[in-house]
Amino acid sequence: TEEETTAIDMTTSEKVVDLLNQAALITSESKLTILKQVQELIINKDPSLLDNFLDEIIAFQTDKSMEVRKFVIGFIEEACKRDNELLLKLIANLNMLLKDESVNVVKKVILTMTHLYKVALQWMVRLKGISDIQEACWEMVTTMKDEIILMLDSENDGIRTHAIKFVESLIITLSPRTSDSEVPKRQENDISLERIPKDHAYIRHSSLGQEGKMALEQLLKFMVHPAISSINLTAALGSLATIARQRPMFMSEVIQAYETLHANLPPTLAKSQVSSVRKNLKLHLLSVLKHASSFEFHGQITTLLLDLGTQQQEIARNMPNLKDVRKRQR
Amino acid sequence: MPSHPLRVAVVCSSNQNRSMEAHGILSKRGFSVRSFGTGSHVKLPGPAPDKPNVYDFKTTYEQMYNDLVKKDKELYTQNGILHMLDRNKRIKPRPERFQNCKDQFDLVVTCEERVYDQVLEDLNSREQESFQPVHVINVDIQDNPRQAGEPQPHPSEMDCQCIQHTEDMENEMDELLQEFEEKSSRPFLHTVCFY
Repeated sequence: TEEETTAIDMTTSEKVVDLLNQAALITSESKLTILKQVQELIINKDPSLLDNFLDEIIAFQTDKSMEVRKFVIGFIEEACKRDNELLLKLIANLNMLLKDESVNVVKKVILTMTHLYKVALQWMVRLKGISDIQEACWEMVTTMKDEIILMLDSENDGIRTHAIKFVESLIITLSPRTSDSEVPKRQENDISLERIPKDHAYIRHSSLGQEGKMALEQLLKFMVHPAISSINLTAALGSLATIARQRPMFMSEVIQAYETLHANLPPTLAKSQVSSVRKNLKLHLLSVLKHASSFEFHGQITTLLLDLGTQQQEIARNMPNLKDVRKRQR
Repeated sequence: MPSHPLRVAVVCSSNQNRSMEAHGILSKRGFSVRSFGTGSHVKLPGPAPDKPNVYDFKTTYEQMYNDLVKKDKELYTQNGILHMLDRNKRIKPRPERFQNCKDQFDLVVTCEERVYDQVLEDLNSREQESFQPVHVINVDIQDNPRQAGEPQPHPSEMDCQCIQHTEDMENEMDELLQEFEEKSSRPFLHTVCFY
C-alpha cells in the first residue's frame, strides 16, 4: 500500500522524530513501547543520531509516569556506555533522579550508578588532560557515590538492598585484582585499583584505595546493626562472599564477619527468617571454602559449617583442589 | 496495580503439578507468570513407586499424555495424571527447566525446600550482570494431583495477590511474609538473589 511505501522511505531520523511526536502526545503505557523503539534506533541502529535527539529523550525525566522516568535512567546508562563524553552532560540528570520522590526511580539510579561508576572512573583515567568540566563531572560522581553509601541507612528496605549491591561493586573496583582473585568473565575488562596509574594527574590512586576500604567498613558496620532485616542480611552475606572470592585480601574480614553474625543473629528475626539466614550463610561459606585463598581459615569455616548442620561429605566436596592451594602457597 | 506488573516464576520439580496449578491460577488472575521445574528430568508416577515415568524436558505434555494412554489408560485416568496433563497442555506446550531460562523475574515462588535450594544454587552460580534483585520464596505445597481444583485459594495465589498489590514490594515483603506465616501457619523461606 501507499502507507507502507512511505514508511520504508522514511529515514531513521524521520522515524525517530515521528516516534517522539507520538510519545509526547500519549499518556498510556504505549509511550514506553515507543520510547524503547527510539532507544533502539538511536543507540543501536544509528548512534550518530544520539546527539541530535538526546535532549528530547531526557525531557521525559519529568514525566508523571514512574516507568517512563525509569526508562530515561536506563537510556542514560546505555548512552553513556556508548559515548563516555555524555557523562559530562547527563550525570547532572542522574543526580537529580537520585532524589526522585519514587523509591523505584531512586533504586533504578542506584543500579545504573553501580555500572556507571566504573565507566566514569575508566574514562577519567584514560583522559590526557583534565578540564574543569571533566573535574566537575567526576566530583559529582563522587558525591553521588557518597550519597548512595549513606543510603545503607535509608528508611526503605529495597533502597538499602540496592545500596548494598552498589557498595559491593564499589569495594571490588576500589581494590586491586590479584593473581588469586576470581574474575567473572563479564568483568574481565572492568577497571579496578591496580589499573589506575599511581602518577595520574587527577585521580589519586591511594585515596581511592582508602575509599574502597572505608566502603568495606561501612558494609561490615551495616551487617551488625541489630535491626537489620533478614533480606538485607542475606544480601550482605552474599556480597561478602563475592568480595572474598574476588578480593581475597579481605578474606579474614569476611570470615570474621560471618563468625560474629553466626554468634549474634539479630534478635528481631522471626524463626523462619533465622532458618533463611542460616541457610544462606551455609551456602556462602561453602562458596568461600571452595576458593583456594580461604585455606588458612578452613578450621573456622568448617566449625561454622558443622554448626549450621552441614554434613562432612558436603564440606569435603567443597574443599578446594589441593594443587591450587599448594600453587598459591609457593 | 503498579504499571509494571510483577514478573513471577513458580517452580516445582517436574513442572507438572504444583507449578502448573499455580501457573494456571495466576495467569487467570492476570499475572505475568511462567512456570518451571528444577529436576534433571520430568518424573510422573508409574505403576509402582520405584517405576516412575521419566521424560526429558523436550517432551510435550501432549506426547506424555499419548504415551500414558498407550501404557495404561485406566491407571492414569484413575490417579489423575491424564487429567493433569490435559490441563497442562492447555497452558503451554511443554515443561521448562528453570536452570535453562535466562529471563529475569522479580519473584520466584518454589513449592518445596529442595527446589528452593536448587533455585538458589542456580542463581548464585550465574555471573552477576545487571545486579537486578530477585526475591525467592519457598511455600511448601503438597505434591498430590487429587488436590488440584480444590475450592480454597492456592497458597501461591494469596501471596502473589498481596505482593502484587503493594506499591513497594521490596519494602513490604518482610512484613507481608510474616503475616502470611501467621495466617497460614506455614513457615516460609525467603532470600534475595541478583541477576
